[in-house]
Amino acid sequence: MSLILRAGLLCASGVALGLLANGFTPRPAPLGQGVLASAEQPGAACEDAQASVARISVREAKPLCLACAAAFVDARSPQEYAAGHVTGALHLSPGEGAETILPRLRAAPTVIVYDRDRDCAAADRVATRLQAGGIRDVRVLTGAWPEWLAGGGPGESGTCSLCTAGTR
Amino acid sequence: MTARILIACRLVLGALFVWAAVAKLPDMAAFAQDVANYRLVPALLVPFVACAVVGVELLAGAALILGLLVRPAALVLAGLLAVFTAFLSQALLRGIDLRCGCFGGDEPASWWTVARDVAMLAAALAVARRPQGAAWLRRKAAMTRSASSG
Repeated sequence: MSLILRAGLLCASGVALGLLANGFTPRPAPLGQGVLASAEQPGAACEDAQASVARISVREAKPLCLACAAAFVDARSPQEYAAGHVTGALHLSPGEGAETILPRLRAAPTVIVYDRDRDCAAADRVATRLQAGGIRDVRVLTGAWPEWLAGGGPGESGTCSLCTAGTR
Repeated sequence: MTARILIACRLVLGALFVWAAVAKLPDMAAFAQDVANYRLVPALLVPFVACAVVGVELLAGAALILGLLVRPAALVLAGLLAVFTAFLSQALLRGIDLRCGCFGGDEPASWWTVARDVAMLAAALAVARRPQGAAWLRRKAAMTRSASSG
């Protein structure tokens, strides 16, 4: 029997064994049901009312954006930012230095940080750094960028010229 | 010397995969969630893939320990490790913060995890290339007997 055939048979037997074992485990994988990534599930961490950084919904944030009453910070990658972001948003990835944009953000009454994913992990990290940098009213956008887009929030594309101007 | 190293690689790889499968078995739902968090497998296929991975790990790992079907088992595990490495790397490059799901538990995915998978992949390929399994040991014992009797 060829090597590939034996490897294939081993795989098929392994799959059968795995499915059989799933039937006897105390917490089986839900066969026949979809499993979404944690960040895409309703009620993900982004919606956590107990989170250390305050939350703001797209419905509340949109009028603030239109009235220029809040500064937005994009916590996604530079490529994602360039492809499309909230109009007027500055860019700050979790690993980048915040010094360049901090003076600009201090002038804003509210700073809203948003993420790519609904788990808001990157936005939470950026928001915590902004708080440590002296920004008082920092909030994380629930539903993140996908919900902003779905909610018809204003957006634009291009790189962040303001993020590199000034002190850098 | 090389044969001893390859036998050690086979046994360690087999033990690691059996351990990885046994650690996941009590909570397959959690492992399915780990698989989903890589965001590469369609949601409906996630539970099936989770079961398949655990079953293949268990069977191929046991085969390596027992020295049976060593070459196909090592080849299957090498394929599995190549897929794990690709999944982990894309998640890290995309900035997705997740548990690796390697041995159950809460171990986070990191470049260290990728390096470990690459090392295991190299070991699996070495074992697949020169399998020192039960058949090989029997042949070697027979050769030793015939040499001593002759």
